[in-house]
Amino acid sequence: MSRPWFVKRQAVRASAVQQAARLLGAVLAATLVGLLLFLPFDVNPLQAYWTMLSDAFFTVRGLSNTLNKTAPLILVGLATVVAWRAGFGYLGFEGCLLLGAVASTSVALQALPGGPLAAWPWPLLVLVCAMAAFLVGGVWAGVVAWLRVRYGGNEVLMSLMSNYLAVFLLQYLVSGPLRAPGDLPQSARLPISTWLPYLWDGGRAHAGILLALTAALLVWHTMKHLRIGYEWVVVGLNPRAASYGGIPVGRRIMLAAFFSGGLAALAGISDVLGSHHRLLDGMSEGVGFVGMVVALLGKLSAAGVAVSAFLYAGMTVGADSMQRQSQVPSSVVVIVQCLIILFVLASALLDRYRWVGWRRTATPQTREGG
Amino acid sequence: MTPQTHPLLEMRGIVKRFGAGVLANDHIDFVVVQGEVHALLGENGAGKSTLMQILYGMYQRDAGDIYVDGLPVDISSVSQAVAHGIGMVHQEFMLVEPFNVLENVVLGQGRVALAPARARLLALSAEFGLDVSPDVRVEDLTIGQRQRVEILKLLFRGARLLVLDEPTAVLTPTEVNGLFEVLRKLVARGCSVVIVTHKLQEIRALADRVTVLRQGRVVAAGLCVDETDEATMARAMVGRDVLLTVDLPPMARGEAVLEVRDLCVASGQGIALVNGVSLDVRAGEVLAIAGVDGNGQSPFAEAVMGLRPAQGRVSVCGQRVDELSPGARRGAGMGYLPADRRGVGRVMELSLEANGLLGQQGEFTRARYWLSARRVAAHAEQLIQRFKVRASSAQQLAGSLSGGNLQKLLLGREFSRQPRFLLLEQPTRGLDVGAIESVWGEILEQRKAGAAILLISAELEEVFNLADRIAVMYQGRIMGVLDRASATMELVGQMMGGQDVLGTVAEQTP
Repeated sequence: MSRPWFVKRQAVRASAVQQAARLLGAVLAATLVGLLLFLPFDVNPLQAYWTMLSDAFFTVRGLSNTLNKTAPLILVGLATVVAWRAGFGYLGFEGCLLLGAVASTSVALQALPGGPLAAWPWPLLVLVCAMAAFLVGGVWAGVVAWLRVRYGGNEVLMSLMSNYLAVFLLQYLVSGPLRAPGDLPQSARLPISTWLPYLWDGGRAHAGILLALTAALLVWHTMKHLRIGYEWVVVGLNPRAASYGGIPVGRRIMLAAFFSGGLAALAGISDVLGSHHRLLDGMSEGVGFVGMVVALLGKLSAAGVAVSAFLYAGMTVGADSMQRQSQVPSSVVVIVQCLIILFVLASALLDRYRWVGWRRTATPQTREGG
Repeated sequence: MTPQTHPLLEMRGIVKRFGAGVLANDHIDFVVVQGEVHALLGENGAGKSTLMQILYGMYQRDAGDIYVDGLPVDISSVSQAVAHGIGMVHQEFMLVEPFNVLENVVLGQGRVALAPARARLLALSAEFGLDVSPDVRVEDLTIGQRQRVEILKLLFRGARLLVLDEPTAVLTPTEVNGLFEVLRKLVARGCSVVIVTHKLQEIRALADRVTVLRQGRVVAAGLCVDETDEATMARAMVGRDVLLTVDLPPMARGEAVLEVRDLCVASGQGIALVNGVSLDVRAGEVLAIAGVDGNGQSPFAEAVMGLRPAQGRVSVCGQRVDELSPGARRGAGMGYLPADRRGVGRVMELSLEANGLLGQQGEFTRARYWLSARRVAAHAEQLIQRFKVRASSAQQLAGSLSGGNLQKLLLGREFSRQPRFLLLEQPTRGLDVGAIESVWGEILEQRKAGAAILLISAELEEVFNLADRIAVMYQGRIMGVLDRASATMELVGQMMGGQDVLGTVAEQTP
């Protein structure tokens, strides 16, 4: 019988340093494998990588774009953290995001000249838009949670299907009721009084990132220090133990779903009020799905989400500029992104298995039996 | 029966090390002769399971030799162990529930003609009195029958040495007797049986010889059971004298704390699991509910704690709680130790600190919503120290605690709230003598402090040691309540078997 490369060990929690080292290792490994993809092109891959990095992070313009892409990713990632930690396997964040965009647009359009909210000042309008989005997204996800808790429906199925509802609802709105005159299916441009402010000159970075970081701080605090965070975690890990401990499992799941949907909807306002300033078809570019990946990369922690969202967004922005400058298709970078995800997720193996590798003849360390 | 002297199995100088510090097996010698039942006794963590898993090829030994029939053998995988005629029944059965018995038995045997296999299975079943039909699906079998299927599987593969890991932990007393008969037949036909256990009375009832392990070493090798007594075995196992009986100091019985009236619980299919139970438990007393497992004790306990829908009245200190949520019942002074402590009592992925908080998450808060990290940590430290939980720190994961230590933590968690009513379900199941002693001590402390304690236990020894009054539950009914002074093992045993000795059920009085 051949000896294994990995041996099982008692589950341990990796320290922050170990986790950082693993993340770095995974990124490095993915980058190295990615080098192969550059072979058919007449470019220096290191040069290409460097272009990607510098354009995403080290120019004002690029960093601004990166931040604008980071904000919705963080918000969807946080939504994933809240829902999944509470044991609610929700996948409908794309729908929440789009409906958040629809809700905030509907409110913001009322502030056009002649509208009922035209006289309202800037901060109040943004606040009202955000509240409307949060409420709509929260209820959208909350309904799925209610159906699961009350009737035992399958939240994975229901939430996936609800995404289609939201996508087509948005298509209907931009090609019908909310359509502005012109060739494109999109709403009218929103009044400036509803825009998220720009952070600095020279780039179009908007305050969405501040919103996202504030939300990350709140989610971190909730999960770590609030009673409701503790109860969510217990419900997610062991619902029987939770109800034994007096936690109303169904109500906690519905509450988690509401907050989760609300957070994902805020990603919609970051896009609409910050980047596009109007509602348009296909605006999310799949952020509602990528955000879940970001959450997994961040090990379902708020801080991890913020970091991995920033890196992920940077790679996406850098890939575009790499394609523009060196004719290497940006899909190369998408492949590297996917490799990073796979390597990082695979590194979780090290929590339960120890790499014995070339010292395979050594005594395997195993879990102690009584 | 007298064991023959031919050694079937010899393990010599077995060493097994886990990591740097833990020596699970420290030069262990273990000899099983043909035609004997050999008990392997030891506390949790003494190294019994490790030794048996080495024998079965699940762990690799670091040093030592294994001989079968006097010949040295190399056992580094389960298939090699099976080839040498060694078979093991694990605590958790390895059966495919939707398959029938025959399919389970031939599983993994390569291409097998079913008709001859079926005939052989029937012959084996008849020979050893196993009484299992090959065509019944395993999911329709009771736990005791499933265990017999496991034994059949081993016999079918030609096992001569059967290792049973804690075989009685999941059985009712009747099933235990049946199992013992089967095992006696096996040894009468020349097989050898090793039972891994920490129940002394079972060793006395079944085993010919006993080997005792403590902290990875052999402290008594192959003692004849007839020439030793339980106190000696217990002392060898724990390393000191053990109180197997406790004194129950008389208490002035207070007023009724828990009142249950006409409690009924039905299963999802509408079958009555608990049928009109009425009970009072007073302050400062232990009322034990004796009964064979599966006679409605767990549904009753869950209904009292609000974890399962039920009809009937439950009140604590005169306050009706039957409409309240589990959390509100806890708030009203009810504490509960569930029988399924691994599945229900703890969250294995969280730290001891977080587990110590469970059920009291509303109490260690500032301004209702904020958990006080300092107080949560202090509480966990206090639990670990006061209840002597062996743990490296409060940050250790609950999943890594041994059964006894986990139980101490859960007991501590419930006791530290100083509840007025405590419901303890199988509090010492699966614990070794030392741990049982300390759990009993803690229960009596709570009694002294004036708590009303309802103890649900399938162990008569525990019931007779701790209870002021004994109720017997049979098929969801209370067969009667006895004062300890007037109760005898025989009487309680008859009531557990469903005999209406007191005429209680006939009269339909509570």
